[in-house]
Amino acid sequence: MPAIDIEGVAMRFGDVDALKNVSLHVPEGAFVTLLGPSGCGKTTLLNIIAGFLAPSRGRVLFDRQDVTGIRPEARDTAMCFQSYALFPHLSVQDNIAFGPRQKRVPKTEVSARVGDLIRQMGLAPHAAKLPNALSGGQQQRVALARALAVAPGVVLFDEPLSNLDAKLRDQVRGEIRDLQRRVGFTAVYVTHDQAEALAMSDTVFLLNGGVIEQSGSPREIYFRPRTRFVADFIGAANLQDGAIAGGAMQTPFGPIPVDAADAARRTICWRPEVVRLSDVGALSGRVAHVAFQGGWLDLFVTAGDQTLRLQVPGTHDIPDGAEIRFDVARDAVVVLEDEPHA
Amino acid sequence: MPKAVKVALLLTPALGLVMVMMSLVIWRAVAQSFGLHNFNGEDVLSLRHWTEMLGTRRYWNALQWSAYVATTSSLITLAIAYPLALWLRKPFAGSFLLSALIKAPYFVPGLVAVFLLLNVIAYHGIVNQALMWVGLTDRPIRLQNDRNGYGLIALQVWKQLPLAFLLLQGAVQAIPDPVLNAARDLGAGSVARFRKVVLPLTARAMQAASILIFIGVAGDFTFQATVGPTRENSLATLMVQYQGVSYGDWNAAAVVGVTLMGLSLVGAVGFTALVQVATRIAERA
Amino acid sequence: MMLARLNTLLAGLLAAVLVLWLLVPFAMALLWSLVDPGTPWSYPDVLPPALSFQRWVLMWETTTLSTAMLNSYTLAPVAAITAILLAAPTAYAFGRIDFPGKGIAQVVTLTPLVLPGFVTAVFFASILVSFGVYSRYGAILLGHVVLFIPYAVRILTVSFAQVNQEVINAARDLGASPLGVFRAAFWPVLKPGVLASFLIVFILSIEEFALAFIVGSPSFTTIPTILFSYLGYDFIRPNAAVVALILVVPNVMLMLFLERLLQSANPANLSGKG
Repeated sequence: MPAIDIEGVAMRFGDVDALKNVSLHVPEGAFVTLLGPSGCGKTTLLNIIAGFLAPSRGRVLFDRQDVTGIRPEARDTAMCFQSYALFPHLSVQDNIAFGPRQKRVPKTEVSARVGDLIRQMGLAPHAAKLPNALSGGQQQRVALARALAVAPGVVLFDEPLSNLDAKLRDQVRGEIRDLQRRVGFTAVYVTHDQAEALAMSDTVFLLNGGVIEQSGSPREIYFRPRTRFVADFIGAANLQDGAIAGGAMQTPFGPIPVDAADAARRTICWRPEVVRLSDVGALSGRVAHVAFQGGWLDLFVTAGDQTLRLQVPGTHDIPDGAEIRFDVARDAVVVLEDEPHA
Repeated sequence: MPKAVKVALLLTPALGLVMVMMSLVIWRAVAQSFGLHNFNGEDVLSLRHWTEMLGTRRYWNALQWSAYVATTSSLITLAIAYPLALWLRKPFAGSFLLSALIKAPYFVPGLVAVFLLLNVIAYHGIVNQALMWVGLTDRPIRLQNDRNGYGLIALQVWKQLPLAFLLLQGAVQAIPDPVLNAARDLGAGSVARFRKVVLPLTARAMQAASILIFIGVAGDFTFQATVGPTRENSLATLMVQYQGVSYGDWNAAAVVGVTLMGLSLVGAVGFTALVQVATRIAERA
Repeated sequence: MMLARLNTLLAGLLAAVLVLWLLVPFAMALLWSLVDPGTPWSYPDVLPPALSFQRWVLMWETTTLSTAMLNSYTLAPVAAITAILLAAPTAYAFGRIDFPGKGIAQVVTLTPLVLPGFVTAVFFASILVSFGVYSRYGAILLGHVVLFIPYAVRILTVSFAQVNQEVINAARDLGASPLGVFRAAFWPVLKPGVLASFLIVFILSIEEFALAFIVGSPSFTTIPTILFSYLGYDFIRPNAAVVALILVVPNVMLMLFLERLLQSANPANLSGKG
């Protein structure tokens, strides 16, 4: 279960830089996610780790051994493709057996592995069927079983859940993470869905325009975003520009407490759910619009020319147009590193 | 009106016409071979025409010759078209032009192709003139109507290649890249990928191509009549000879015609089986 | 990178060979057709001694070429239109209706393509003799329609299937008569298919040899049968050159036009010409 190191990798296609200068470390047995919008380079990076692309610059190392020159057939990786890429002419069990057979694993061992995986994935009633007779979720499981059959040290996931419906996605998400914990392989998971990334990963690498904009644990990324892009990409965020003086930023809603030195112009960020409604709150505003979401209430609150988004438990019942007062805790407010908007 | 009636009415113009005409033609051929619809005398249902024909040298020669030309042409065409289709699977500089050029003979009607070939290989054709100019021979060589039918087979291959290439290229390009990548990912090198993924997934197209080529070449008249060896007959030329002005023996022609249909069927089944077996062997090995 | 270079080099070589393979004979054909009848071209001259259009004029005036061309070019459009009219209802059924046995029906429609051409020709002629049908034109026309209907059916089936049911519904919803629905919902989608079918049947009819030869000879000539007569024992090369060019050039232009028309769907897949 190797640790992976990416050192100074860049990838150029024609005159487009898909990856500019990426370095990261994946500890052995960790589950990391490459997250970002389409075009950010995450799939390119995954393909470089798998060996389908040779980087224009930089190296890929497994347990500190340089594998950059090694072809995909020979690397200790197995990929779960977005389109599943099952062999259409082979049954489920032959699909799963493909990898071990290539490696000349003895027949009895192959049957044992295939049988095990089929049981684990709940595919027993489908073992002899062809891929086109299976549902999306079942195909996904076959793809996963096929990858695991070669007992890889690294499993690469290329947006495996994007073709499944929401309910199934949640379920399979949990199954993949449980599986990874049990078996212990190193996992690199590509997705554009931030909820997936937050729920599954040990570490999240957020890519934008070919570079890693921020990396860290899901909590760090969520509660301590460093740039506007990160703040916006993950969940909803309230972003406000202004001067910081005496540990607060004056806004049309009142003073927002900020734990930072005085500065002429900064952008602060805080999440909608950190707010607390209070009759004696330091901040105030008018509710322009309320959206009931069951478990919570989305409040769009205005003051002056700014609008904030607040989130409170759904048990509250606040009418449109109400005047409210609220508080925001100082340690929930983050100062972003970007230049504020002009 | 009920759906069944509506559908039946809609299908009649084209499907009905085709069914009627084709059944009539096939029936006519079979019936005349057994002595019915006799233009030269009484309608007598008999095996006479068959037994007579089966005892004729020319018949067996024609059958052998047609089978030989059809099988050889099919095999050679596939042997050229398949590697080409594989090579041109992914575009590269010049691949589009090459694909178009390979498909170009499609646009040339058979007879014109014959003419072009004759131009090149005839007694006074360009090949002979070149050879004499260079000094390799001092008299033109007989390339046209050569005894072994090499010119004939070459022309057949030239004519059938575009279709075979088209069908195989379609199948080869239909294999999704992720599937090939998955095979690589799981440890399959290029030979293994070909044997275990590409070959099984293109077997259908190979069968279709081989069947179409075989039937097309087996039933050929024009090429045999113009560039084939003069002492041989294809089943089609034999059939036309019997039917034509010189013999007027429609019943004999019918026997040859039914034989030709039989040969087409046997060839089609044979090639289907051949491709099936070859694919199985390659996969298991 | 090396592999890419090698590929292009090989492709270039092969392309050059193919171009020569096609261009040289055609160029020769052109030259031969322009050889002046008065001064024949033969060894050891490398190029024809005199060029003129005389050959073309001569052929037009003295041979049955003009009749053959008239025959071919009146057969083809009529065959094409007839084939389309007969194919349309069947294509509608294949394209828009689900019924048991549809798969088989579609395969049966393809039988004219599978039966060897000369067998069809000879026994079709046999039937005509029995029924005392002596109109060559009519017989060949019928034959061509039957032979090429499968192409029209296949193309039009695809076209009909592409007509959006919701557009049909919208037209009816807004009060259109059946003709109005056809014009608004069907025709725009069918137009390219109809044109493609017309072109394919037209081209195939012009080139069709077996039926024209068996049923037509010796009195009814078409361009291919005349060309054949010049290729047989009497290889009259300049005459053959003229007819070959007349046969090929318009057809190639039409086929290129057709390819452009059906750019997404590969026409060769549909037409299976060979």
